Amino acid sequence: MALEALTAGARLAWRLSGPGRGHRTAAGRPRSRREAAEAEAEAPVFQYVGERAARADRIFVWGFSFSGALGVPTFVVPSSGSEPGAGLRPRRRIQPVPYRLELDQKISSAACGYGFTLLSSNTKDVTKVWGMGLNKDSQLGFHRSQKDKSRGYEYVLEPSPVPLPLDRPQETKVLQVSCGRAHSLILTDSEGVLSMGNNAYGQCGRKVVEDEVYSGSHKVHRMQDFEGQVVQVACGQDHSLFLTDAGEVYSCGWGADGQTGLGHYNSSSVPTKLGGDLAGVNIIQVATYGDCCLAVSAEGDVFGWGNSEYLQLASVTDSTQVNVPRRLPFSGVGKVKQAACGGTICAVLNGEGHVFVWGYGILGKGPNLVETALPEMIPPTLFGLTEHSPEIQVSRIRCGLSHFAALTSDDAGGTRGCGVRCGPHGGPGQVLRLN
Amino acid sequence: MGSAGLARLHGLFATYKPPGLNWKHLRDTVEMQLLKGLNAGKPPDPEHRVHFLLGPVEGSEENELTLTATSVPSLTSHPLVRGPEFTRLKVGVGHRLDTQASGVLVLGVGHGRRLLTDMYHAHLTKDYTVRGLLGRATDDFCEDGRLLEKTTYDHVSREKLDRILAVIQGSHQKALVMYSNLDLKTQEAYEMAVRGLIRPMDKSPMLITGIRCLHFAPPEFLLEVQCMHETQKQLRKLVHEIGLELKTTAVCSQVRRTRDGFFTLNDALVRTQWDLHSIQDAIQAAAPRVAAELEKNLRQMPVTQQLPDPGQPRDSAGLERCKEH
Repeated sequence: MALEALTAGARLAWRLSGPGRGHRTAAGRPRSRREAAEAEAEAPVFQYVGERAARADRIFVWGFSFSGALGVPTFVVPSSGSEPGAGLRPRRRIQPVPYRLELDQKISSAACGYGFTLLSSNTKDVTKVWGMGLNKDSQLGFHRSQKDKSRGYEYVLEPSPVPLPLDRPQETKVLQVSCGRAHSLILTDSEGVLSMGNNAYGQCGRKVVEDEVYSGSHKVHRMQDFEGQVVQVACGQDHSLFLTDAGEVYSCGWGADGQTGLGHYNSSSVPTKLGGDLAGVNIIQVATYGDCCLAVSAEGDVFGWGNSEYLQLASVTDSTQVNVPRRLPFSGVGKVKQAACGGTICAVLNGEGHVFVWGYGILGKGPNLVETALPEMIPPTLFGLTEHSPEIQVSRIRCGLSHFAALTSDDAGGTRGCGVRCGPHGGPGQVLRLN
Repeated sequence: MGSAGLARLHGLFATYKPPGLNWKHLRDTVEMQLLKGLNAGKPPDPEHRVHFLLGPVEGSEENELTLTATSVPSLTSHPLVRGPEFTRLKVGVGHRLDTQASGVLVLGVGHGRRLLTDMYHAHLTKDYTVRGLLGRATDDFCEDGRLLEKTTYDHVSREKLDRILAVIQGSHQKALVMYSNLDLKTQEAYEMAVRGLIRPMDKSPMLITGIRCLHFAPPEFLLEVQCMHETQKQLRKLVHEIGLELKTTAVCSQVRRTRDGFFTLNDALVRTQWDLHSIQDAIQAAAPRVAAELEKNLRQMPVTQQLPDPGQPRDSAGLERCKEH
């Protein structure tokens, strides 16, 4: 090192000419500022970041891991780990904090189903979608088993490529994926919507086949006859919703709670346009995960249909099933930008970044608020609004079956992950920050 | 002058400590200036004693002695005999600042020292502005320490810095909730969270309640940090760690406390104002605010942690014990 050489030389000079001004002390420290500046100018400069360094995109997983849905095999089968003594560790039931998943590709869309996960990338490569978790109904496609080449895996423990029957696999891009209880939908930009998995109620958009065996099935159905381009897909528990660029909503699948919104309580196996209060309205977003559905229009109105046993639609009707879309006239909510719907909980986000919740369960307003039919605002202080940082706003909300997640952003352009953990995963009725 | 002045001197006030001054020397200087002010007052008129003087009778030829009564000033209370009236004054220091840091330093005089303990137990946050310099790493995280490494910093942008600060704030937020020892499932905890009052009321490591970048002009950047249970050295280490997260290095060039609890820079007295009258005015001005804030914090503390009431009124404004001479 340059510094040590200088020290040795200076010590020699000190011994020869005796201590005086401008020489180093015995500790090797330069006595004068000039010497310090000279030593600093000679020190080498380290570079830790190359010129073309790009930030790696990260995927984090957490939650229940026994079905393999987290994509980390050592959680489920510890003996598959490479380190010694891995087989003696018990398998991990819950991953409570976000765990980084090692993936090379840049993932643009991810969806969590009931025990399985789909990840998709906006790439033109042949492999665009990866799936992990439960595959007993081929909701992740067909993954050939290594041991028995004629059968498929029932549990996929690692993110594995999902084979898609695309006409032009090197030009088509996958825009979005969505997962329901036992089926999944994949939205492409030029080849329509692909659906896989259980079709017992027609939720995959094809005719129901009696006694069909879904396990190890290669069937991937393509739906292209919509009036216009499909811009968003949403999977409910056993039904599917499609939103076109014309602002129209189509649905198919199980309808016993009216979640297909087609005016009857039967199953439907062909995607059909919805009417009711949605007729003529330009819808920009649909949301569903259980048996209730919400839609947001361009003017900021909220429409709902489906299950209302938990007061989700009690603001317009007392009946517990609504099979025609109805407009929900909420007065204190402002212009709604986004809606999210879980099993028994509903939430909307308005243009000012405020979140309103209603329904039944842990809603995020303390242990005393268990159910409400009208939206209640969650205080912005729970999302990090303080005098110190007054520009915190919520920018996106999502729902799981019984928990919410919200992403905040401040005007400086940064995003913070902030989770409203209201659910059985150690859920307090309150906002906690994740990162 | 002295005792009346002393009576108005019980309470808390804030001073501005310049960098390079040891906090102990500041405290000693303030004590000296207060004593100077207290002793400078005009001493009270001395008592008079009746003294019988033996002297010759006037207007008589014989040498007769007679006693004449005279009133003579008594020297027992003269300052040149007894020394100055006040030699020691009890001045206490609140949250300390190390020598290189500057900013608001709260002092308490006399009975105000009890309020210092109350302020400590209120566990209020403090505001700092921290200035950092990218590209160098030193052994004590300061600009003038021994150089360890120099690095490039062209890749650092405002966005990356904001992202790192958001990660820091998020992890400290989680720690705040953990160290506050609250059962999150209760309605009480929810209400405290809504008002933004979740913070540890006990010992804890340094916790940052808010951090943001005020100014970014590489290699220099200015952060505003709102924290509790901190030392200035830990703040410098924070700057060093921010440099490491940004894949470069950083040293801290300035740590300045802009607020300590409810004392801000506006309340802080500068070196030219460290004399008796300014300090008395500052104490009187701050007294109602101090009492109100401490009362508010006392009410919000969980009952198990409140100190036993010593049975005396807490606010210094009520203690007007004038010794009559």
